[in-house]
Amino acid sequence: MTASRPAPRIRPDTRARRQHLLMLAPYLVGLVGLMLLPALVTLALAFTEYDLLRPPTWVGLDNLTALVDDPIFRVALLNSLVFAVVAVPLRVLVALGLALLLHRRAPGVGTARTATLLPTAVPEIAYGLLWLWLFNPLYGPINQLLRLGGEHGLTVLGRTPPPWLTDPTSARAGIILMSLFTMGETFVVLLAARRALPRDVYEMAALEDATGWDVFRRITLPLMAPVLALLAVRDAIASLHFTFVPAFVVTDGGPPPYATTYLSLFVYQTGFEYLRYGYAAAATLVMMLLTVAALLVQWRLIRRYRRFYQV
Amino acid sequence: MSGLTLAGVSAAYRDATVLHEVDLAARPGELLVVLGPSGAGKSTVLRVVAGLEPATTGRVHIAGRDVTDLRPGLRNVSMVFQSYALFPHLSVAENIAFGLEVRDVPRRTARERARAAAETVGCAGLLGRRPGQLSGGERQRVALARALVREPDVFLLDEPLSNLDLTLRVEMRAELRALHDRLGATMVHVTHDQTEALVLADRIAVLRDGRVEQVGTPEQIWRTPASTFVARFVGSPAMNLLPADAAVCRTGDAPPLPEQPLEVGFRPEAVTLDAAEGTPATVDRVEVIGEDAYAYLTLAAGHRVVARVPAARRPARDESVRVGVRWADAHLFHADSGRRYVP
Amino acid sequence: MLLVAGSLTEPGLPPSPTPQLVPDPLSTTGYQRAVELGGLLRASLNSVLVAVLAVPLSVLVAALAGFALARLAPRTTTVVVAASLVALMVPATALLVPRFAIFRFLGLTDTLVPLIAPALLGTSPLYVLVYYLAFRAVPADLYDACLVADLSPLRTWWRVALPLVRPVTAGITALTFVLTWSNFLDPLIYVYDRDLFTLPLALRSLSLLDPTNFPVFLAGAVLATVPALVVFALAQRRFLRPDD
Repeated sequence: MTASRPAPRIRPDTRARRQHLLMLAPYLVGLVGLMLLPALVTLALAFTEYDLLRPPTWVGLDNLTALVDDPIFRVALLNSLVFAVVAVPLRVLVALGLALLLHRRAPGVGTARTATLLPTAVPEIAYGLLWLWLFNPLYGPINQLLRLGGEHGLTVLGRTPPPWLTDPTSARAGIILMSLFTMGETFVVLLAARRALPRDVYEMAALEDATGWDVFRRITLPLMAPVLALLAVRDAIASLHFTFVPAFVVTDGGPPPYATTYLSLFVYQTGFEYLRYGYAAAATLVMMLLTVAALLVQWRLIRRYRRFYQV
Repeated sequence: MSGLTLAGVSAAYRDATVLHEVDLAARPGELLVVLGPSGAGKSTVLRVVAGLEPATTGRVHIAGRDVTDLRPGLRNVSMVFQSYALFPHLSVAENIAFGLEVRDVPRRTARERARAAAETVGCAGLLGRRPGQLSGGERQRVALARALVREPDVFLLDEPLSNLDLTLRVEMRAELRALHDRLGATMVHVTHDQTEALVLADRIAVLRDGRVEQVGTPEQIWRTPASTFVARFVGSPAMNLLPADAAVCRTGDAPPLPEQPLEVGFRPEAVTLDAAEGTPATVDRVEVIGEDAYAYLTLAAGHRVVARVPAARRPARDESVRVGVRWADAHLFHADSGRRYVP
Repeated sequence: MLLVAGSLTEPGLPPSPTPQLVPDPLSTTGYQRAVELGGLLRASLNSVLVAVLAVPLSVLVAALAGFALARLAPRTTTVVVAASLVALMVPATALLVPRFAIFRFLGLTDTLVPLIAPALLGTSPLYVLVYYLAFRAVPADLYDACLVADLSPLRTWWRVALPLVRPVTAGITALTFVLTWSNFLDPLIYVYDRDLFTLPLALRSLSLLDPTNFPVFLAGAVLATVPALVVFALAQRRFLRPDD
């Protein structure tokens, strides 16, 4: 054997580690550049007045105090919260119902699942346009359907069909109705969750001659509760976002007084229509705080279920 | 020639040390079996040799080369995994040639060598198939072919037979030994199966809790176990172990016991049930395995002992027998350390 | 059960381009006018351009990052996965203003760059996480076998890991395409030049038409929906199949 220089003491995995980090790099750039940095910018802009033309000027807490007094913002915040409280449980319920119906193998189930998912795949804007037509009080199929059998543009019951998008209440209801069909993601998760439930529990229940309702209330629901809770929180956060296109395209925030102006639309209009970026950033900050609050709730839920199931 | 040496090698998993300054050597062309119960660190030995786990202390030499700081690919070892680790998306031929092709061996050469390797282990008929279409034994052969196609300095085999059913395991065991003899390669074979170790090995290293308990030929391991642990781990049913001063009848040439706390070990084969002066015992239960029967006994003093007897002459349950131990076949161990007592 | 399914099928399917429930005078004029008025042809080209650039880039970023996460030390992985989970929860609208400020600072507004940039995130951190889980589920022995064969991480990824998760790649590619194709918010904010309009944005200008022109904008909606639905329908067979 020839005496050689002692090999430099390199851990065998440094080369691999460097390459792995390199592979991760683009994503990290995206994560920092498109998520972290924007979040920080929001924090900074929220305390400035900025219209893109002149450099931002520091205004301290003025934006936030103005927000509190801003009636439109208050309406928007309220609308968003109401939407989350009404639409989100409905969406989860619809998804749960369908998941429970469609988790078995049966003829037509595959088609039905596809049908459930399809609305989620339709581009938001096209979906919005579709509903703009569906909701149209005169030409829209919904009211045409409601008028079937009635006379003089009245329904069978002799009442006027709802003037969908021009009346505040029915406009809000309309947006919620729209949102009910796009719960594809929630549906997929619930479907998987239902299929993951142990089969023998249900066989046991069948041996005990439990009725369908008992099985649902005593077995399915408790077992799926953790997933349901997490999905609801997630959906609530997402609802801050997915109210935008319907409100923007279908109702344009109206009918007065701002019946369907949600936080997302408020931010957009303030920033990109009235060019008050600082003010919009302050509203964004409120939105983020709501998100953080929801995340905290979610985190606590996870911890509670962890303890409960001892995992 | 290409041997393997571990000198004072320690390894850790998370914060727990799983190997304690292991010294171990496989001579060139030797088939060394590392034997131990699960959790003894057997697989870690292989993984440290392969470079898949770092050694926290000590050096690893392969074919005279210090490879301690080399990455796995530069150590010129090949490994057969317990799960075989065949790539499911590649055909058998591609699997075998994989290690060559990624080292930029020309495609044709790689394919030819893959075919040759497949013929060596008897899976040349499977070259076009995918791992998913193979039986356990066939996968085993492909994994072997993949290991030997690269002509490595050392073969590392991590419980390669443990996923096969008993018949196949016995068959592959014999083939593995024949393959080793044909290639004359250095192999390190890890197993928890003592029979496999006794049948296959040139030498056996018994591992316990990350330490080498004994290294020796199968004969040495069987005849002169270095500790109570080795004595009881090798052999089934396990060796009987009693305090040396327990009241038991010693037959044959029995020198006086030395004056210190000792334990005596004797295999079921060394027990007779019809000794004239034998210790009284009752039969708790009897297991018949073909021509042999194992009688589980309780001695008058309360100690439990297993005896092997011809099935035709087995005692009945609850029968009283007189137990004698052929003292020439007994082993003495220090009671405190468990190490073998050498007069 | 069929009722529910049937009622759901309706909004998802391409709507009839006429105001009647049963399209009486079946005509394609809606489609023709939609294309003319909305500049849909030009917009389609832009959408295709964005998708062609963004989708492969996005899948590439996600697959590389997911693999690296599955192979890096647990501590690094935990930090990045946690950050991704949080990022996943932030509603997209919450980042409109700051992102806009950043792209404006970089002088990239009114180009297609901000529409392609999310590809650096893998379009959604979710896809990175999905890849991470998929690559982590690959048996560790296979990775070890690659190490013994002296495969670099990049080649391990390309030759072994990626082929093993092909269904995942198919699903993620389809979803990325659907998201990119449907993206409305980003073009709305970043693009003002009509020549750079993508399909969803062009559709929006159709929506400002007189309400009697329903056939026209519905025709546009159908045109925009079909590619997304085709890709989605193909993909969902894959991700709903494992449980069938």
